[in-house]
Amino acid sequence: MIRVVDLTKRFGPTVAVDKVSFEIGRGEVVGFLGPNGAGKTTTIRVLTGYHPATSGLAEIAGFDVQKHSLEVRKHIGYLPQEVPIYPDLRVVEYLRYRAELKGVRGKDRKLAVSRAMAKSGIEDVARKLVGQVSHGYRQRVGLADALVASPPILILDEPTSGLDPNQRRRMKQVVRDLAEEHTVLFSSHILGEVQDVCSRVIVIHRGALRADGAPGELVQQSNRALMCVRAQCEPSVLRELVSSLPGVVGDTVSMHGDRDDASLSCRVEPGADPTKELGARLQSAAIVVATLKLELPTLEEYFYSITDGLDHQAEQSDGVGGGVAVEDAAGDVAHNLDGVTDGDQQ
Amino acid sequence: MRGAITTLKKELLSYAVSPVSWIIAFLFYLIRGSEVSNIVYGFAMFRADVNQFPAATYGVNSTFNMVLLVPGIVTMRCFAEERRTGSIETLMTAPLRDSEVVIGKWLAATVFFGLLWLPSVFLLHLMEYPDYFNADISFGPVFSAYLGMFLLSGFLLAFGCFASSLTDNVLLAAIVTILFSGAMVNGRGILLQALGSWRDNYYARELLAKMDVQGNFSNWFARGLIDTSQVAFYLGGIGFFLFLTWTSLTSRRLA
Repeated sequence: MIRVVDLTKRFGPTVAVDKVSFEIGRGEVVGFLGPNGAGKTTTIRVLTGYHPATSGLAEIAGFDVQKHSLEVRKHIGYLPQEVPIYPDLRVVEYLRYRAELKGVRGKDRKLAVSRAMAKSGIEDVARKLVGQVSHGYRQRVGLADALVASPPILILDEPTSGLDPNQRRRMKQVVRDLAEEHTVLFSSHILGEVQDVCSRVIVIHRGALRADGAPGELVQQSNRALMCVRAQCEPSVLRELVSSLPGVVGDTVSMHGDRDDASLSCRVEPGADPTKELGARLQSAAIVVATLKLELPTLEEYFYSITDGLDHQAEQSDGVGGGVAVEDAAGDVAHNLDGVTDGDQQ
Repeated sequence: MRGAITTLKKELLSYAVSPVSWIIAFLFYLIRGSEVSNIVYGFAMFRADVNQFPAATYGVNSTFNMVLLVPGIVTMRCFAEERRTGSIETLMTAPLRDSEVVIGKWLAATVFFGLLWLPSVFLLHLMEYPDYFNADISFGPVFSAYLGMFLLSGFLLAFGCFASSLTDNVLLAAIVTILFSGAMVNGRGILLQALGSWRDNYYARELLAKMDVQGNFSNWFARGLIDTSQVAFYLGGIGFFLFLTWTSLTSRRLA
């Protein structure tokens, strides 16, 4: 339904979106993630035909955004980041106007407006002036506008920004319900809600695509997965058993312990799970295992690692304070090991 | 053109609920009502030819204040407000052509402007009552006077739409339009001096003659004379500025 190939958007010398490519199939709910200023809104504005692309291709429902803008706009419902609504119209008047603008007329219009208001939960403010409703309701009026013509594709640009936790929860539920009938591109910089709502995430940072996949798969594929083990043996024995395991990357990241209590933590290859093999080896060596687990990063940690974290590492590798990244990594590991130890003590 | 009609309806609704519209209407009716009633009184006192009444009403200050000030105020919000609030984004991403948006907004401004003028038709009708003047006012001069006013206002409103599409500052849009209107009313004399020997050029002379809106009214439209070259000038001007507005709007989509 949405196809983007090498999409680039420049504003003068500034590259806002840099050769981004992705595809979104029918019925998918995709989270479009990125820190503030990453290029999410610019990409979305190109997709909706508001901004032209500098180069590359963007297609919606098979129509080129640049060449068939009108057709594209017929297929999308768009909720901009700041919901700009005419404050001097009543909610229902505004939605009637928008429905008519989108080609929904006559009896269908009344039905479409009622349905969109019901889906967005704004029936109780239907007769209020748009300028008088709260921010949360305005956001939902914008959502009702996006829904009113029942477009196959919904593009929601940070629909939960500025909402209180209850409103956010409600909005997430609404988006979840929409997934049954629409293809949804949901932009946000709040990871938790993307994880709750979306089956797939696309991460963009500094205009470039950094990751694309299901949240679970992404964290599993992350090179920040750690295997943590605590066993009743000499630390050197444990290190020897671990170092020869397939799927373990490089040296042990952290190790401490004494004669009969060794704790070890090491990085594993993306997608690998050497815990079973290690369990078998420890069992055959008759070593009692207190803890053996694979610790995957949270989506938040993963997000940090491929956005700001990556930038941070790049800065370090340029020679500014080299070693801090390593310290960072070691800090994470120590934190994880602390968790293991604390858990055991409890 | 369905999009244009939808835009027209929405814009008219916005005019209807905007306090600015009501203030303009109130001030206009008040000032014009007072001036026209003075003319009626003058006609009654001096037993003047009532057929000259429509022409006389177009010579009063309220007419030209209306022509100078109101188009800028009516059109200042058209696009500048949409740009300022960001609602231009929802408008430009809705499935309608940019030309439909431009035509819808211009039509709405023209209809609103027309509504300010229409009540003066009833004033003329009052003159025909036996209890007042018992006059038989000819349809021709009235029609041509209103046609002239429609063409001029449409022309200035088209410019107002264009000025509004260039900025997100409503005040700036209004000032630019008022300056342009001022140039249309008073610019001929200034340009005649500035042009020097060029003023003898046929095209320059013709263009300046068309620009002389006050002269056009008093000498042509208000007397019941319709000059097709003047009609073409105003219609061409409306088309030209609406085209520029469309260009300004659609340039956003061009790489």
